[in-house]
Amino acid sequence: MKKEAFNELKRESIYIGALFIIFLIIFKIIFFKESFFIVLRTVFSIFWLFVFPGYSIMLYWNEKLDFIERLVIGVALSAAVIGISSYYIGLAGLNIKYHGIILPLALMIFGIAITLKK
Amino acid sequence: MKLSDFFENSYLILIFSVLLLIGNANLWDNELKHDFPYGYLASDAFQHQVRAEAIKDAGNFRLEANYISRSFENAVGRYPPVIYHLAVIFSYLTKLEVYDSIYFIVFFLASLSAIMMYLVIKGMSKNAALLSLPLSLLVFAGPAYIGFTWGHWPSIVAQFFLVALFWSIYRIELEKSFLLIGIFLAAIIMAHTSELVFALFFIFVFFVISFAFKKIDFNLLKKIILGGILALMLSSYYLTIFRYSWFVAQPYSFAVKPLWEGNPGFYLVNFQLLLVFILAGILLSFAKIKNMHIAFLAGISMLIMGFGNYFGFDSRAFQLRFFWPVYLSVFFGFGAYTILRFFIKKWNLIYSILLGAVFLILILGLIKIPYIPAYQKITTQGIMDSFHWEGLKWLSEKTPEKARVYFFYGDIYSQDALLRNSKRVHFLVDPNDFIDNINKRKISREYVTELPGDGGGGIVYRKGLFSFGDYDRETDRGYFFGKKDICQFDYYVFDKVSSQQVLAQYNLLIANELLKNNFTSVAFENQVLVILKNNNVGADCIEERSF
Repeated sequence: MKKEAFNELKRESIYIGALFIIFLIIFKIIFFKESFFIVLRTVFSIFWLFVFPGYSIMLYWNEKLDFIERLVIGVALSAAVIGISSYYIGLAGLNIKYHGIILPLALMIFGIAITLKK
Repeated sequence: MKLSDFFENSYLILIFSVLLLIGNANLWDNELKHDFPYGYLASDAFQHQVRAEAIKDAGNFRLEANYISRSFENAVGRYPPVIYHLAVIFSYLTKLEVYDSIYFIVFFLASLSAIMMYLVIKGMSKNAALLSLPLSLLVFAGPAYIGFTWGHWPSIVAQFFLVALFWSIYRIELEKSFLLIGIFLAAIIMAHTSELVFALFFIFVFFVISFAFKKIDFNLLKKIILGGILALMLSSYYLTIFRYSWFVAQPYSFAVKPLWEGNPGFYLVNFQLLLVFILAGILLSFAKIKNMHIAFLAGISMLIMGFGNYFGFDSRAFQLRFFWPVYLSVFFGFGAYTILRFFIKKWNLIYSILLGAVFLILILGLIKIPYIPAYQKITTQGIMDSFHWEGLKWLSEKTPEKARVYFFYGDIYSQDALLRNSKRVHFLVDPNDFIDNINKRKISREYVTELPGDGGGGIVYRKGLFSFGDYDRETDRGYFFGKKDICQFDYYVFDKVSSQQVLAQYNLLIANELLKNNFTSVAFENQVLVILKNNNVGADCIEERSF
């Protein structure tokens, strides 16, 4: 089961990589006056903040949902979880400047862990 | 990957790209990074930008900054926090300024809403879903677009989560789906709480239809209840604040308001000829009432609640209408598909993609056809300009934190939330009194003055865990609006140019009069404004006289 999950992860990592390049190209086209570096940083941030964590958590439902559905809903799930948890973690005393690193990373680890456990 | 999947995915990427292009990129002159808040057309947009900026400065949203809450220091952060936190985190990651990151997040999530709705509709019919997508472009056209440019951003983000909630109910059979339902419900509450009413109405309609046709079982009911409990747990801390602020300050009251005062509302007639397909879709959907799909229930619920302005929901109902092109796209796609199937029996997925592309071209306005609503490109820097921004940044960075700033007349200052970018407690001359003084040819020491800031939901502060006070209610009105002695302020901001130059000339007359004393000096100046520093606050700073 773990091997299957890893194989799935490996296969879909290629899709995500391809999507990253597609989005980089699209962003560079529609924001054509912007420097490549800023476009790259923006697309990477979108993937880091929304796509990777969301995808990782949605892996839990990989048997029932196809890749695109998991990816799109994963973005919404990531936005929801990060938006809510950032508020509370900030109130608990951790400055928001660290949330962009900690929260996506925690979600990715959590998502992969629960999928492997399943 | 199958060829049909390839075409479908390419089509989705195309639509998403077009949405980002017409929503965000065109308005922003195809740049991501700007030198000042770009494309902001109303005060509310600045309101959200400044709050996110203040959270970035403070590191959390425990308290509202004093320059937002009319000088009060310990007002609780009472606005639904999700959009601000996402914007600040995104700003740190991208190194974009908060004014760009918050706006981008709104456009990005709104564009993705269309794709999420597609996924819901696809569960009913892939062809209808493909045909439905182009209608979503209308969220960035006509009156619906003011939802973005005028700053109804929290509502838009909450509606993004509302569409995610539709999806989670559509996929309720999934193992542990209550987690998804709970998280999306909590996100709605903490993005723009009033959208919870629309979410609950949708769930109510879902229950009614399910019970009526005996489609519900205990397991589904349990998942929704568990989701509700989870949402309450996740949002309980914020809901406590909401209960003692917004719930008190803006309670529900029944009223019939056909028009949205001061705003160009979105109406069904704005769909023009496309309304034929939408109405056909609504009528045809009733033929499937026994197996009513979630996409239909979502569409019907949001259509009904969009008319909530006739039963007390006022501006909230009009805000919901910004997303009608997304919610009602199911009827558009289903209506078009069913009608065309009547003529073409052997329908092919490629036909749907091609026809979708035709709708896309029409709605984009690439080919203009009368009575088909079409996107019109808007590129504007908005209200702000580099000179005012330079002055506001100077105030925020170069003046003491406790400094009190007085703004004399400026054309753009009627959108007063932008003044909060000074990050100092600030006051604004009342334009009526200002003009009255011009008419009387008089220079005064006291002018009618407003203490601008955000009093929406009250300016509440904590007395205990479940006990709050409200500065807004407890403070005399004269504190917020009335005659003020201008000699009591640390800095004065004078605009040197105006669309009515007499107003700017009077500004400069006062500025020159202030400079006659030996303790006021020019602290900052550019082509558009001058900022004076009062080095002896409270002293006799100006001689009242006629001119």
